[in-house]
Amino acid sequence: MENSKQIDAPTITINGVSKIYPGKDGAEGVKALEDVTTNIKDCEFVSIIGPSGCGKSTLLKVLAGLIPYEAGDVTICDKVIEGTLDEVGVVFQTPNLLPWLTIGKNLSLGAEMRGFKSKEIKPDIEAMVKVMSLDGFEDRYPHELSGGMQQRVSIGQALLYKPQVLLMDEPFGALDALTRDRLNMELLRIWQAEKKTVVLITHSIAEAVLLSDRVIVMSERPACILEEIIIDLPRPRDPRATREMSKFGDYVVRLGALMGVV
Amino acid sequence: MNSDTKRAKWKLNRNIIDGLIFFIILGLLWEYAVKLFGIKSYLLPPLSDIFAAMWTARVQLVEHSLVTLEEVIFGFGTATIAGVAMAVVIYFVPLAKRTIYPLMIALQSIPKIGLAPVIVIWFGYGLSSKVIMAFLFAFFPIIIAVMGGLSGTPQHLEEHFRALKASAWDTFWYLRVPSVLPSFVDGCKVAMPLAVIGAIVGEFVGSNEGLGNLILMATGSSQTALTFGALFAVTILSLSLFYIIELAGKLVWWRAH
Repeated sequence: MENSKQIDAPTITINGVSKIYPGKDGAEGVKALEDVTTNIKDCEFVSIIGPSGCGKSTLLKVLAGLIPYEAGDVTICDKVIEGTLDEVGVVFQTPNLLPWLTIGKNLSLGAEMRGFKSKEIKPDIEAMVKVMSLDGFEDRYPHELSGGMQQRVSIGQALLYKPQVLLMDEPFGALDALTRDRLNMELLRIWQAEKKTVVLITHSIAEAVLLSDRVIVMSERPACILEEIIIDLPRPRDPRATREMSKFGDYVVRLGALMGVV
Repeated sequence: MNSDTKRAKWKLNRNIIDGLIFFIILGLLWEYAVKLFGIKSYLLPPLSDIFAAMWTARVQLVEHSLVTLEEVIFGFGTATIAGVAMAVVIYFVPLAKRTIYPLMIALQSIPKIGLAPVIVIWFGYGLSSKVIMAFLFAFFPIIIAVMGGLSGTPQHLEEHFRALKASAWDTFWYLRVPSVLPSFVDGCKVAMPLAVIGAIVGEFVGSNEGLGNLILMATGSSQTALTFGALFAVTILSLSLFYIIELAGKLVWWRAH
């Protein structure tokens, strides 16, 4: 028992976390999270879905150390969160590239801010340019790229500083279906190759099922965990083949029912 | 050459040619309207007289222009440095925002033309009083522009920088400075012509040289053509300085959003 616990020691522990956004001038605040408890294992791919505005982004920001929380405790890699941890990388819904820097400089920005020497990461950047299919765009500026390419730069930027835990807040929300599929596959490939723990916020049930080991369904605000569903589908997952499996459809229907969309 | 660049080039030529034709027509109207209506030349000389007067007084015009130019450059330069520094302090130090900022607004509300005699009494007839006048005119737009730029730094980028664990210095240098630059350039575009006005006002109140002084001297001796010549010189000076800023500003092509 003791032994198995050690092997399965969670990377992220979330224990009874609540978050209230204070109201203005003593008005009652908005409760965004209420008593959220779950653990996320090392190298697990977890998606969080829930109605829009429910507080899933709030949960991600708590994990990212970007906002404080009122009750409970959160640890990542046994560390209490105080600002963004070194082990954590964040990908936002918008690519957040700096318009005045080239793609190459935007890619290396995160790594350089986190103290990697630009000489050391040069080969990594070249490799990342290939992985993200950005060849020939290193000297272009963000506004010259499509939304999908910009988001690839943003993901590449986060991967380059080698976080053990990757937190993603609807990173593919603004993309067309085709680009989304392609980036989904790229994400799965990277996740499998680099052994990372991924927490993905999405409002696409199909995306959640396709990518995840486990899907967490959150309720309306104040968000608490309604249900956690283990996605038992074979890996590696090819989008088309996976979607055709009857089990895939079952998961989608079940999650849809939980979210009240069916 | 493909048709697109050809069209672009033609469009550029059109812009220049249209403007040129317009100004030539305006000039001809001036020239012949004055003659046609028999307006006395000490009231409004024909354009040709003005050009003739400018040519005759060319050495004088250049010398006075250089004096004014020097005043403007020092005034604008110090206003830029002080304006940026002041805006940064006001933005980042809450106490300064509560104390210095209202003081700045109060100072801005004083009609600076009314201050000119005092400035000349304090700092004399020489360069320094004109530099201070140019400074006073240019200072405020720079502060306002830089403060606006600082508070306009996109919040999602600030959050992104926190997620990247950027140091305060990195955030300042890689995020705030580039996001402020576009508004700073806009502020300079407003401040530069104001600095010229400030210098001229200073020269009006008390000076031995400079284009403002030349305007006064020419008017005093009823050389109206030379007065207009000096006004043209002021305009050319102001426009040239403005376009230098505009050209330099093209390096800052982005807008943070």
